[in-house]
Amino acid sequence: MQNFKNKLYDFEVTPPENIWSNISKDLPGNKIIKITDRKKSKNLYYLAIAAASLVVIFLGSLFFKYNSSSPGDSDTTTTVSTEKMRDSMALNHKILESIIHSPKEKHEIVLNDLQSPGIPKKYITVAGPEGQPVKISPKAATLIIAANNDFPPKPTWSKKVDKWQKIMLSSTISPTFAGIADLVVDASNMEKLQ
Amino acid sequence: MQKLLYDRFSSKMYGVCLRYTDNTEDANDVMQEGFIKVYKSLPKFRGEGSFEGWIRRIFINTSIEHFRKKVKLYNVNEVHENTIEDVALDALDSLATKDILSIINELSPGYKQVFNMHVVEGYSHKEIADMLGITEGTSKSQLARAKGALKKIIESRTGAIKNNDKEEKK
Repeated sequence: MQNFKNKLYDFEVTPPENIWSNISKDLPGNKIIKITDRKKSKNLYYLAIAAASLVVIFLGSLFFKYNSSSPGDSDTTTTVSTEKMRDSMALNHKILESIIHSPKEKHEIVLNDLQSPGIPKKYITVAGPEGQPVKISPKAATLIIAANNDFPPKPTWSKKVDKWQKIMLSSTISPTFAGIADLVVDASNMEKLQ
Repeated sequence: MQKLLYDRFSSKMYGVCLRYTDNTEDANDVMQEGFIKVYKSLPKFRGEGSFEGWIRRIFINTSIEHFRKKVKLYNVNEVHENTIEDVALDALDSLATKDILSIINELSPGYKQVFNMHVVEGYSHKEIADMLGITEGTSKSQLARAKGALKKIIESRTGAIKNNDKEEKK
C-alpha cells in the first residue's frame, strides 16, 4: 500500500560531474593536509614540545597533591579513575579498531580546517566507518597511518604503548582519558586491567 | 573527508534536490549550496539520530530557502485534509519511480513542497508550518489541494492511455 512513498524517499540520481568541482572551489579554507605532511610542520613540533611541557608541569603538581593527601582518599580516587579509564579505553579501542579496519585509504584522512583555518587543532576530524565525523587526537591519527590494517598497530608501536602504559599504571596518578595509553591497548592489557 | 562524504551521499541528496525543485538548474544550485552547508555544519553534528537524516534535513531546508526566494506561500482558507481520499494515490504504487516523479513534477511548487514533506518525508503539519513559516491549517490545505491535483493528473493520464488503446483497437 502506497509503495510510491518509499520509491520517492529512496530515489537516487548521480549528479553531474561539474557539481563537485564547483563545491570544492566554494569551500572556504579548503585545505587538505595528509597526516604525513603534518609531521613535517615545524610549528606543530614546537607546539608539541610546549604541550608536553605543560602536561609534565600539570602531572607534577598532581603528583605532589596526591602524595600529601591521606591513603584512604587515594584508594577511592584510584578506584573511580580506573573504572573511568577502563570505559574510556574500551570506547577508544572500539573506535580506533573500526577506523583501522575500514576499507578507506588511510592517507586520505584529512584535517577539517573549515571553521578556523590556520589555528592548530586539538582534534582531527576523520570520516568514520559510516562516513560520520569522528574526532580523534593527532596521536591516534598517526597510529592509524602506522597501523597498516593491523590491530593492535605495528609491534614497534605496541611496545612503545605497552611501556608507556606500564609507567602510567605503576604511577600513583591514573592517566586521564586524553592520554595515549587509553587510545590503544591490546587485549592482554585489557584482561590485566579487568 | 569532504569528497568521501560527497561520494557517499551525493546520489541520494541529488534525488532530494530533484524532488523539491522544478528543473535541473535549480536542483544543481540546491545541491551545491546544500553540501557547502553540510561541510560548514559538520562540527555541530552531535551524533544524535542518523547522520543521513541530519544531512537530508539540511538539504530540505536549503530547498525551502531556494524556493522562498522565488515564490511566496500565502496562508489560504482551510480545506480539510481528508477531503481527498488517499485511495486516489494508490494508483501511483503501480508506476515506476520515473513516472511518479513526472506526475509529481506537474504540481505547482507550493503543493509539491508540502506533499513531499508530509507524504514522503513524514513531517507533521506542525513541523511543516514551522519550516515554511505558514500556519498548520495552510499546510493541511496545501496538502489536500495537492492530492486533488494529483488525482486529476492521474485520471487525465489514465484517460489518455485508455483513449489510445481504443484508437489502436479501431
